[in-house]
Amino acid sequence: MKKSRSTGGFRVGAALAVLLKWIVLAFFLAVAVLPLLWLVLNSFKTNLEIQSSPFSLPEKPGFINYVNAMAMADLPRLFLNSVIVAVGTVFLNLLASSMAGFVLAREAWKGRETVRTVLEAGVLVPILAFMVPYFTLVTRLGLYDKLFTLVLVYAAINVPVSIFLVTSFMRAIPKEMEEAAIIDGCSFVQRFTKVVLPLSRSGLVTAGTFCFIYAWNEFLMAMLLTSSISARTIQLGIRFFTSQFITDYAGMFAAIVLSILPSVLAYVFLHNKIIAGLTAGAVKG
Amino acid sequence: MKNRGGGSAFKIAAFLLPVGVLFAAFFLYPFVFTLFASLTRWRGIGAMRFIGLGNFGRLLGDPTFRLAIRNNVTWALAAGFIQVPLAALVAILLARRPRGWKVLRTVYFLPNVISTVALAMVWSALYNPQYGFFNGLLKLAGFEARNFLGDPSTALLSVIISSVLYIGYFMIILLAAAMNIPQELYEAAKIDGASAFQQEFLITVPMLRGTLVTSITLAMAYGMRHFEATYLMTGGGPAYATTTMGIDLFLKMDALRYSEASAAGVILILLGTVVIVAIRKILGNKDPMSEAGQ
Repeated sequence: MKKSRSTGGFRVGAALAVLLKWIVLAFFLAVAVLPLLWLVLNSFKTNLEIQSSPFSLPEKPGFINYVNAMAMADLPRLFLNSVIVAVGTVFLNLLASSMAGFVLAREAWKGRETVRTVLEAGVLVPILAFMVPYFTLVTRLGLYDKLFTLVLVYAAINVPVSIFLVTSFMRAIPKEMEEAAIIDGCSFVQRFTKVVLPLSRSGLVTAGTFCFIYAWNEFLMAMLLTSSISARTIQLGIRFFTSQFITDYAGMFAAIVLSILPSVLAYVFLHNKIIAGLTAGAVKG
Repeated sequence: MKNRGGGSAFKIAAFLLPVGVLFAAFFLYPFVFTLFASLTRWRGIGAMRFIGLGNFGRLLGDPTFRLAIRNNVTWALAAGFIQVPLAALVAILLARRPRGWKVLRTVYFLPNVISTVALAMVWSALYNPQYGFFNGLLKLAGFEARNFLGDPSTALLSVIISSVLYIGYFMIILLAAAMNIPQELYEAAKIDGASAFQQEFLITVPMLRGTLVTSITLAMAYGMRHFEATYLMTGGGPAYATTTMGIDLFLKMDALRYSEASAAGVILILLGTVVIVAIRKILGNKDPMSEAGQ
């Protein structure tokens, strides 16, 4: 009797623990997904539906809000600007980081570890403390309100993370690969372009993905360093959508959905790279 | 022949040049500039006039800036001691590989790739007094609608909640560490009769200690520099209730008070560093994983 009662209690306790576990997991799933679902749902409603029945499904779902958003808010231009800035940032950052990563990982020279440590320590710097020097530097160089300026700034801000990722990938390449290439007559530059660069492609993709998402999502520097439609990004566009179309919530929600699509798509295709990149940093601590 | 394919000093320098220029222009120069400008009186034009520590005295005596520091400390504490423990809880649950754990891990991180602008607008809408989700719930339950972001007593809490519940980043870091714990430890504990609950508390949590300290340190450093979500959702209001050092810096800069803004930047960097050093001192950075030779 006594024995069976205690196993019964144990079973109830275990079942309760399993239930609690799934409640916790479901709660955080809801936190991650529900606000986004609510956003997508509202982007298909009419303004009247949004105001009167916040929980209902759209009566006649259609893409009219998306059509309105694209037509009204300079959205296509801002979207294009963001694409240019994000692609440019990825290109410039990877070019610079892979070159530096190569000599930091594959060449022995005096002061190498110091340079690497200083570059990587840049991760700890709160960039927003530099609003004043960024603004004055950019205006003095005549770079205010230019797309290229954002490329330059974003590529620079991502240098510490990229150097860390690219260098640790390049270090893992076996020495024999390069030695064989040198015997075959590879020059210094060819070692970089023909051996090390192709072999560290995975690290470059990870670093590039971080750059893309950062450049696509960045807000503060874009607000600080640009002022006209020709140089502003989609983030500023949706930010100031409200003041432009104070009553068109549905159009605003559609614009937000459009603005998050590229980074969500990048994540859908490259989430394994992103997670691997984050844990590479974690293992190093 | 020895140096065939190797880099001369010139070649090495040439390869470092692009990163060197970017880093010098956007990390080293701004750092030195901010330190220097914080000691001057300067409004963006004309010569800088050296005035010593006057800007710091004025800032630290300013009730708004002191409130900003207090709010940043609140953010740091919420991130370090609510967000990270919640992330650790989920990481420990996922480390046992329940059904669908990989999908859950991916979805939990999804909000981290979405721009703060978009998230802030969604959360502002969720909190909206007329058509927002939360007020819809309140009305269903028969309560009066509340202006969560417009009321000084609920604004800070509302913004913090919209941010700390996104646990994805720290969960991924902690999960990777939890999955690195040698399986034999759990098997030995099982043989000794430890329950699943005891195993987590006696093995997982102590083994995660190093990564937990790192996560708390990072989270608190991010809390000390918190700016974006608040700026976008409340602009620091109502009546400065949600202001942070970053917002104060931005507003000072907007008002062309460049040297005071620089001093705010110096304090921001300084307090961030103090938090990092202090947390590692208090919690210790002994990492059992590194001691185990990993």
